[in-house]
Amino acid sequence: MKKQRVLFDSGNELAAYAAKQINYHVMGYYPITPSTQIAEFLDQMKADGEHDISLIAAEGEHSAAGICYGASTGGGRVFNATSANGLLYALEELPVQSGTRFPMVMNVACRTVSGPLSIKGDHSDIMYTLNTGWVILFANSPQAVYDFNICALKLAERVKLPVIVAFDGFFTSHQKRRCEVFEEDSDVQAFVGKYDAPYSALDLAHPVSIGSYMNEPDIINNKFQLHLAMEQAREAIPEIFAEYEKLSGRAYCRTESYLADDAEVLLFLLGSSYHTAKVAADRFRAQGKKVGVFTTNVLRPFPGEELAAICKNAKTVLVGDRQDSYGAEGGNMSLEIRAALQRAGVSARVLSRVYGLGGLDFYVEDAERMIESCYDAKAPAFDYLGSYPGEQVDNQQYFAPITGEAASPGLTTCVFEDGKAVVRGGRVNETTAMPKRLAPGHGACPGCGIPVNVNLLLRGIEGNVVLLFQTGCGMVVTTAYPKTSFRVPYVHNLFQNGAATLAGLVEMCRQRQKRGELPEGEITFVMVSGDGGMDIGMGSAIGTALRNNHLILFEYDNGGYMNTGYQLSYSTPMGAKSSTSHVGPNQYGKNFFHKDTPMIMAATNIPYVATVAECNPADFLKKAAKAKAYAAEHGMAYLKALSACPLNWGDKPNTERRVIQAGVDCCYFPLYEVERGITKITYDPEAAGKKLPAADWLGMMGRTKHLMNERYADVVQAIQNEIDHRWLRLKARNDCELL
Amino acid sequence: MNEKTVLPVKNDYGYYEIRLESIGGLGANLCGKMLGELGAVYLGLNSASFSSYGSEKRGSPVKAFIRWCEQDMDLRVNSPIESPHILGLFHEAMAGKLPVTAGVTEETRVIVNTGASPDEMRERLKLHAGELTCVDAQKIAMDCKSRVNMVMLGAIVRASGFIPLDAALSLARETIGKKYPALCEQNLEGIRRGYAEGVSRQFSDDGRFPAVPYTEARDKWGYRNAPLGGVNPRFGSSVSNDLSASREGYIPLFIQEKCINCGLCDTTCPDMVFQFRPGEYKGRKAMVNTGLDYHHCKGCLRCVDVCPTEALVAGLEREHPDKKWFVRNKDLIVDQMEFEDAGPNSWVTSESFLNEKRVDGGVV
Repeated sequence: MKKQRVLFDSGNELAAYAAKQINYHVMGYYPITPSTQIAEFLDQMKADGEHDISLIAAEGEHSAAGICYGASTGGGRVFNATSANGLLYALEELPVQSGTRFPMVMNVACRTVSGPLSIKGDHSDIMYTLNTGWVILFANSPQAVYDFNICALKLAERVKLPVIVAFDGFFTSHQKRRCEVFEEDSDVQAFVGKYDAPYSALDLAHPVSIGSYMNEPDIINNKFQLHLAMEQAREAIPEIFAEYEKLSGRAYCRTESYLADDAEVLLFLLGSSYHTAKVAADRFRAQGKKVGVFTTNVLRPFPGEELAAICKNAKTVLVGDRQDSYGAEGGNMSLEIRAALQRAGVSARVLSRVYGLGGLDFYVEDAERMIESCYDAKAPAFDYLGSYPGEQVDNQQYFAPITGEAASPGLTTCVFEDGKAVVRGGRVNETTAMPKRLAPGHGACPGCGIPVNVNLLLRGIEGNVVLLFQTGCGMVVTTAYPKTSFRVPYVHNLFQNGAATLAGLVEMCRQRQKRGELPEGEITFVMVSGDGGMDIGMGSAIGTALRNNHLILFEYDNGGYMNTGYQLSYSTPMGAKSSTSHVGPNQYGKNFFHKDTPMIMAATNIPYVATVAECNPADFLKKAAKAKAYAAEHGMAYLKALSACPLNWGDKPNTERRVIQAGVDCCYFPLYEVERGITKITYDPEAAGKKLPAADWLGMMGRTKHLMNERYADVVQAIQNEIDHRWLRLKARNDCELL
Repeated sequence: MNEKTVLPVKNDYGYYEIRLESIGGLGANLCGKMLGELGAVYLGLNSASFSSYGSEKRGSPVKAFIRWCEQDMDLRVNSPIESPHILGLFHEAMAGKLPVTAGVTEETRVIVNTGASPDEMRERLKLHAGELTCVDAQKIAMDCKSRVNMVMLGAIVRASGFIPLDAALSLARETIGKKYPALCEQNLEGIRRGYAEGVSRQFSDDGRFPAVPYTEARDKWGYRNAPLGGVNPRFGSSVSNDLSASREGYIPLFIQEKCINCGLCDTTCPDMVFQFRPGEYKGRKAMVNTGLDYHHCKGCLRCVDVCPTEALVAGLEREHPDKKWFVRNKDLIVDQMEFEDAGPNSWVTSESFLNEKRVDGGVV
């Protein structure tokens, strides 16, 4: 046995620790709760010089899976971690990985799939992967997450299939437990051994074509090979577990059971619930009732024979499903266990209970309720546990709807005169009369810039509005069920798909108005996104811009994925520390420049692009009115605000307007507009004698304060050079209409 | 280190359980992790710690749970701690608003961050029973430039009656000292003073306050009456949230006679607190600032920073119990409404970045 060390860590920490010990070549990833921490912990360890893994923050899970696939064709070791909709977004890459037989390891911290959106744990995501040709191990404790991660790589490379290590989101991913790890990384590396890939896109002496086009006689053979590999994995799993036990002292089997041998009632539960149910079994045993519990550690290849063998003496088997295969009268575990029992000729009655959806806690009492229903001959074969009918609600409205008339006081207007957009009004004091489309009581942090910016934007847009928010802080803090902060119609779709969704709604409005189903009249359609949404949703935004749909896209840029704990976005300032760009001996923070989204949007030639900042509120209101006029008459308008995040910028909430002002004055965030291709700087800090060095702004925020240290002088200089370069080009455009 | 500890009491499952109730930003999560580690690494126990994930933002209610049992036993239960042996309350303003004392029995040791006496605090908490320890963690933390969570850790260690102070100090040296050596001594001092300065009193079940059972929150909308698809027709309903608990002691005071009705406060307030109405200013028709709806004010003081005439200034909330400029949201069409105490909500579910800021010494 190799020497072990005691740690007090969570499933995510242990997945990261195993990856560090293995020292993978490449990790492609994209942040999504609850798996994000795996990349975060690896980034921290990387900053501290503990491993050499290339950690690549993709702009979405689809690309992250693409990075992983590409890397795996190069013959090295590849790692990924995701959850829920991230997994589904990457889903089409999974059969490619397995079908072309490139091993890798992906952790899935299981979480419920949207919508409605929820971030907590259940198994609705992992069950989508059952048909992808990946081996799927399911770890029911943080210790198993660590152990399975090490076994998974060995298995993947032995059978040439990718392997998922799945575990309960939060219950296992975030719960810290006493656990043991190998003291020496070298013991882990010796166990997994060296990998000699049979094919590599980097083997120039033996050129191979990866990703053939296949016709009908061939695909079935390729899939039969995959089937054979899965059967090989069925044999290899116990072998590898046995080898692992010799080194670690920790034994695993494909299935586990507790008090099952003589049990007349058996409960099947996957993940952390399995352990909780053992307590309930003990309680029934104490009353003389023969109750047992069982689970599986492997979803693919499914150990049906072993599971059926456990059930051979049982009168009733209850399968708890933490997801539903709607319409199939059971979740996927129910369906598979029923099939396995039938095949093995086990005649036990099988009941199915859907439980614990969206992270609903599983108490011992819940397991007891499941067991009780097994003793009830009339218990329904299928049911939900934990849903409830509801009680009388006082549905009185707090506000009257905001009418188009009430929202049109004529205080900020924009009309086209001789083809030129002319704005009138937009005075800060007068426009306090505009009704607020956002209600107070939302859950943004004290001092958050998002409601400030959304309110300024909507204050400048008179008349009817319909809003769409992409996933992000702005959406999370306003629509926590059963309440909402929106006083006007509002839609949320997936993280990356807002622009397309709103384009669809705009088109429906036009159609229904044309057919006389809706009254004529102008509605301004406004999409609100964070800078994260503009990373993963860039394709959808550009598509909408190229179609020039009549809507406004408003981006609040706080420079990071703030609602998931501040991972870097492509708009995060260079040098800024974040939970995926830590500062340490080997890393100075984010290592590439902030994305110039307004210029990307301007390149689509939409009629109106502008930047706004809360420190220039009158300018903000006028640009909002202009955006409205352009959206009505000419197509798409894009506005972007620099938006404060006191929590993750690491500054004081009350100072945020000054911080934003400094961001504008140092030309990191210049205020300008591109109106039908003509660029105008609307506030020139140079001309006003207020231009600041970038360092003055960077030094105001905790996330960039470390750059003030002399050792990062070259980073600060590089940032300054980039800002100057972008500013000079902007001035050139300002001076010449043709640029 | 790692000597096996014998737990003085255990519940039916054989566990010793601790629940911490706090608002985000006070470091309860870190305190929970440290207690978990203390059990696993220093007390030779089997140990688990977890938090009420999904609400980690500054100012929002958070819970941390620690579950211990003897090392040769499995920790099988993963659900929240309903009836704790130790209950730590990190923020006294939570008293009486949120059901923070749920599940408390005569056996429970309750530790509260407060300057009040145990007798006063019991009234405010409507505490059923238990041993109540009051420790002015906020003040101690400010005195010795430590943090509330370190002081609370010291007080919890003392109240437990079986955790050696040295174990907690060694752990703090390990977790803080390694990464932030400069902050180590002041935080050790915080733990020591928390250990030394708590004032305790045992309250029996004298029938004054009923026991509060721990229940999972449930909404009134269920599968029979919830609008399909999670659609929410109650537009603007977040207005019934009272966010006062997310303030950290300070509020903006409004001195109306200094106000020039420029409206800048309304452009910087993230919480739509200012109530501008048509009126008269200097003999002219104008939009006039008629006051603030403090139900929604989170105390960020952005308005104080932008006010050009010092009509808005920062004040200590406790010095201003009656705010004559406190007005209701002007757009409401209901005569009366029931406010629900709430905190900022979010999904912040990471810790690695925030930890760096949390272990930063100094005042919270």
